[in-house]
Amino acid sequence: MCQGVALGDCEVLVPSRIDGVSDTAREPQYLTGDLSEIRPLTRDVDTFSIDLDRPVTFDSGQFVVLAVPGLNGYRAYSMVNGAAETSRLDFVVKRTPGGGFSEWLGVDRAGTTLDVFGPLGRATWRPEEEKDLVCIAGGSGIAGMMSIVSHALSSGHFERHRGDVFFGVRTREDVFFADELARLVDAAGGGLSVTVAYSEESSTVRDPDVPGGIRAAHGFVHLVAGERMAGAWGNRTAFVAGPPPMVDGALRMLIAEARLPASDIRYDKFT
Amino acid sequence: MTWKRVCSAGDIEPGRLAPFVVDGITVIVANLGDDGFSVFPPSCPHMEEPLDQSGICAGLILTCSKHLHQWNMRTGEPTGPEENDRELLRYESRVEGGELLARIDGELVYEHEDDEDDDFEW
Repeated sequence: MCQGVALGDCEVLVPSRIDGVSDTAREPQYLTGDLSEIRPLTRDVDTFSIDLDRPVTFDSGQFVVLAVPGLNGYRAYSMVNGAAETSRLDFVVKRTPGGGFSEWLGVDRAGTTLDVFGPLGRATWRPEEEKDLVCIAGGSGIAGMMSIVSHALSSGHFERHRGDVFFGVRTREDVFFADELARLVDAAGGGLSVTVAYSEESSTVRDPDVPGGIRAAHGFVHLVAGERMAGAWGNRTAFVAGPPPMVDGALRMLIAEARLPASDIRYDKFT
Repeated sequence: MTWKRVCSAGDIEPGRLAPFVVDGITVIVANLGDDGFSVFPPSCPHMEEPLDQSGICAGLILTCSKHLHQWNMRTGEPTGPEENDRELLRYESRVEGGELLARIDGELVYEHEDDEDDDFEW
């Protein structure tokens, strides 16, 4: 995510096209919305929702940028909800020291009106795509994957195709959306697997804290995905989201080891 | 026409790339295994990303992880995304007595026009 401060008059170059927008309903637009449903999911991850002034249509995997009164600049957050026309957008945010928005956000901020611009992003999935899915996410990067997997499930994709989700967190305490992921696995009837990779836990046994149907593994999530997916990379679309080192590691694995074509790898770089 | 020593052929493992400075000119060397070596400028032809960090080797194909643009390191031809029409510039190279030599008469640089229709990235 590039952000800058103009120190004087500047010329702004506006691109002549908007990539990936196939119909006018999905063009990004300026909206406003009220914060709601703010609550902690783990020690450093919160969830929040925004009730928009009017409905928007977006593709699963997309994000919006938010402007908060009193904070400079826009911040980008991926929608958790599956794609549909909706007036409520759900998000997750990692609380980071010095992180303007995440430090500002608290339960008492409910009702605050924010400026919203979107939807944006090209790491999207559409139901007409006839490929198996693999999602590799670190921390709050799982947000867009929830959107994609929910949408794939509701459109019957897992009746014909596989989906494999790899969710990297540091420790057992850092897992969130476990119940939601378990419900997705259950509803997909064998077409979907979810593996939680702990980068700072040594146990590789099935984890009692993770609900049924979710596998546990030890190690960095992109390495776990590389090992578990070996030999199963054919006809796949890969989605990647998370901290920059994880995204970089996942891209290297997907290109150099899995040998996926670049056209089958989707991610949005926020750095 | 000067052949200059870049590194020893054994300095880089097959499938890897690394930067070297030859007479003040930085180059990237990629070990293509049975296909020899490729020596090229250090910035991505697309948007000048430093390839020593963003470059990924897979066989003959170089991928820049910034936008997943790809090139054939032997021929310099772009592959992959259609909008990528820039060739990967290369220095002629050969291995002699275990040493990698490249013909470096001057620095190869890409012309990045300010007014081009660059991808808009958030």
